[in-house]
Amino acid sequence: MNDVSASLPIVDRAAVVAEPPSERPIKIAVRNLDFHYGKVHALKSVNLPIAERQVTAIIGPSGCGKSTLLRALNRIYELYPDQHATGEIAVDGENILAKGYSLSRLRRRVGMVFQKPTPFATSIRNNVGFALKFYEKLGRADMDERIESALRQAALWDEVKDRLNASALSLSGGQQQRLCIARTIAIRPEIILLDEPTSALDPIATAKIEELVHELSQSFTIVIVTHNMQQAGRVSEQTAFFHLGELIEFGPTSRIFTNPIENRTKDYITGRYG
Amino acid sequence: MNAVVLRRRAIDLIALVLATAATLFGLVCLVWILFTTVWEGAAAVTPALFTQMTPPPGSDGGLLNALYGSAVMIALAVAMGTPIGIAAGTYLAEHGRHTKLAATVRFINDILLSAPSIVVGLFVYEIAVRTVGHFSGYAGAIALAIILLPIVVRTSEESLRLVPNQMREAAFALGLPRWKLTVQIIYKGAMTGLVTGTLLAIARISGETAPLLFTALNNQFWNADLGRPMANIPVILYQYAMSPYDNWVQLAWAGALILTLFVLALNLGVRLLAKKVLSR
Repeated sequence: MNDVSASLPIVDRAAVVAEPPSERPIKIAVRNLDFHYGKVHALKSVNLPIAERQVTAIIGPSGCGKSTLLRALNRIYELYPDQHATGEIAVDGENILAKGYSLSRLRRRVGMVFQKPTPFATSIRNNVGFALKFYEKLGRADMDERIESALRQAALWDEVKDRLNASALSLSGGQQQRLCIARTIAIRPEIILLDEPTSALDPIATAKIEELVHELSQSFTIVIVTHNMQQAGRVSEQTAFFHLGELIEFGPTSRIFTNPIENRTKDYITGRYG
Repeated sequence: MNAVVLRRRAIDLIALVLATAATLFGLVCLVWILFTTVWEGAAAVTPALFTQMTPPPGSDGGLLNALYGSAVMIALAVAMGTPIGIAAGTYLAEHGRHTKLAATVRFINDILLSAPSIVVGLFVYEIAVRTVGHFSGYAGAIALAIILLPIVVRTSEESLRLVPNQMREAAFALGLPRWKLTVQIIYKGAMTGLVTGTLLAIARISGETAPLLFTALNNQFWNADLGRPMANIPVILYQYAMSPYDNWVQLAWAGALILTLFVLALNLGVRLLAKKVLSR
């Protein structure tokens, strides 16, 4: 099931075969994934293996389909009636695109953090505890403990421990984003999707999030979409380069950035377009 | 200066004068109404207004029973109309946004929004007065609720749509079911809009006269029983202002002033709320 190289374009097939994506087991296997926004064909037959407990970065110019891929991984696109995905996305071998797959179960396993921080208009404590309450019946002490541990994991605890009842909207942008991460990991997902999580943040907040992403990859499988190539270079083990809805090249980040095989990858990485 | 420039300046001046005159005309009417109401009504606003019943011709009295009747019927109308209105607005904005049913409901709601209130009064008269055999406060409240409903539907749909999709996506990404998302996240984000819509709807129904004439009618005496005819400010206004008795006319002006101030206060409240939203 991990052999997804068969349907990749010739040039890539050589690259992927010569260089197995990762020595880690594959957590998510995307196979022949097509995505449509109404009549627009946004992803064209994408095949991508995503390794467990590593950071996989998805890069490419605007409109290349990188966010679309992310939005397919937790089926968030289903909010909009004219968006459709076909193909297969196997998480631990189970096709999550299958009709019978429970959305609630999927989203418990696959968390997502968005480009702009999206704190709910309630207290810091409730933001983290909100989904937790829905999934697990916990006593007050257990609940507080889970909230604390999520906030610690998101490197936010020390900044908010004295004001858990304050409004989440009173936090700075970077803190709000880390709160969203805490909210996501509080329900203990297996996979975390990050959609340009630092594009609305200043450099210091960005550095904190990047450090955090690295930490979190010890326990979670992380897929990060980023506009910022330096960021992909800093945080990820694997990088996938997309262009016009196609996966152009995929491999270890160090190789993609130093020795890309495809010309389009090379051109993008050296800043010729994008 | 050449002819073209002169002509343009002349047209500009004419347009400016006409637009200013139109604005002044509108404003003068408004100020005139307000001024007359305050001038005529202020003298009659005494403590007795709020403590005594509507009097027979020629003796002193107040508007207590009418104020009470109006308050109770408006409250009941809000209690009946807002939940239904917000639920319908929620369907239109959240669940059925792109469906044919929603488009139809929206269209019918717009018709109801501009339906003459006297038609609503007549309708409720047929279903809740003739069947029972007598006028009642309940019938009045039903008529007011029907007028309030489309306003709440419209404003709640609009304020729910203002909640950014990112919020929906963020809550969905946590795997929460739709109803929980709507009740706990979307309503919170749209709260000011929902309250504003309700306040505007109250302002609208508080002056409605025709539907109450057909339903609650009037009552010269104290009555707290919604099952019987009920006094209310608009109908009292209508009856007293047309009467030949000086004290009744006085009371009518006082009632008009109170009604105006109430609506004014509601609108100010709405503006304050809106400001709070913008500054957030």
